[in-house]
Amino acid sequence: MRAFAFVVFDGARLSLDPRAPGRRLRIDPRCVEGEPVHRAFAHVCALPDRSAALRYDEPEVQQARRDALAWWIPMLGDDLICLTTFAIDASRCAGAMTVARDPAKFADDPFARLFSGTVVPTDLFCAVPPPAGPPIERYAGAPWPGGRFGSAVHRCGS
Amino acid sequence: MNPGERFPDLDLPDHTGRPRRLSELGGGDPVALFTSRGWWCPKEQRYMRGLCRLQDEFEVAYARIVVVSGDPPEVQSAFRAGLGARFTFLSDAERLWLPRLGLLETTDTVHHPYLPAAFTLGPDLRIHRAYNGYWYFGRPTHDELRRDMREITMAVREDWEAPAA
Repeated sequence: MRAFAFVVFDGARLSLDPRAPGRRLRIDPRCVEGEPVHRAFAHVCALPDRSAALRYDEPEVQQARRDALAWWIPMLGDDLICLTTFAIDASRCAGAMTVARDPAKFADDPFARLFSGTVVPTDLFCAVPPPAGPPIERYAGAPWPGGRFGSAVHRCGS
Repeated sequence: MNPGERFPDLDLPDHTGRPRRLSELGGGDPVALFTSRGWWCPKEQRYMRGLCRLQDEFEVAYARIVVVSGDPPEVQSAFRAGLGARFTFLSDAERLWLPRLGLLETTDTVHHPYLPAAFTLGPDLRIHRAYNGYWYFGRPTHDELRRDMREITMAVREDWEAPAA
């Protein structure tokens, strides 16, 4: 499994075309590996400005991930299609995107505390099972909640 | 279900009603799995409050917590929110897995609940240790869970010993 895919955001639109104008952001690759959900809405909590980023380890970025697990994902319920943070390198977060069937609850998005949100109609993203929790750490630099460590043999327990 | 055996790959709805599989929830990490009588039991309330303190360690340690009970998803969701839990509850409201797991608490003929038990699992769902929590003190302490997570992590992470420079 690849560690990340890319999306391009120009402040108003999203594209999977790497040549599209805008800011190139790493996303959980599972968001684009299935059948896209049509007539969805993305809440893009990111800015096109390339300097707009925080470290994943900053307390406010950690807390937004905790809030996503605790109440944001349950609150969205069946409306949730997928959710990913935006990574720009191994340690910095440029925000996050929640994709849902209905944008009515986007005003409560905890990631909007990091960067203000823009609602973007989209047909690009597919349904992904939400993270199980409680981990908020990233796996080898993959944009949370994606990634996992390689398979390993369980050698104890008998 | 004994150490060394594989725990069944449960397929149940989570606290939001979304269908999940235990292996998917594990996501390649060690898992602490708890079966629980339900929200109404004071012992469960006490133990779950403690788990919510421990989740602050699990969230940075690449390990998962999963709770299975017979409460319906909407009840689990309310219970989970009240606890401040950030882990997943699986709902066996239909008692689909309860008899197959052999975990029916036969002394409660009102709720037909799960027997409180705990299993620490490897990423492949192999049972590392099993705990019988019928009596409260049979449940794993936080230190026992830390020990089990350490042992499983040591066994499955090839870079447990930090790579040399």
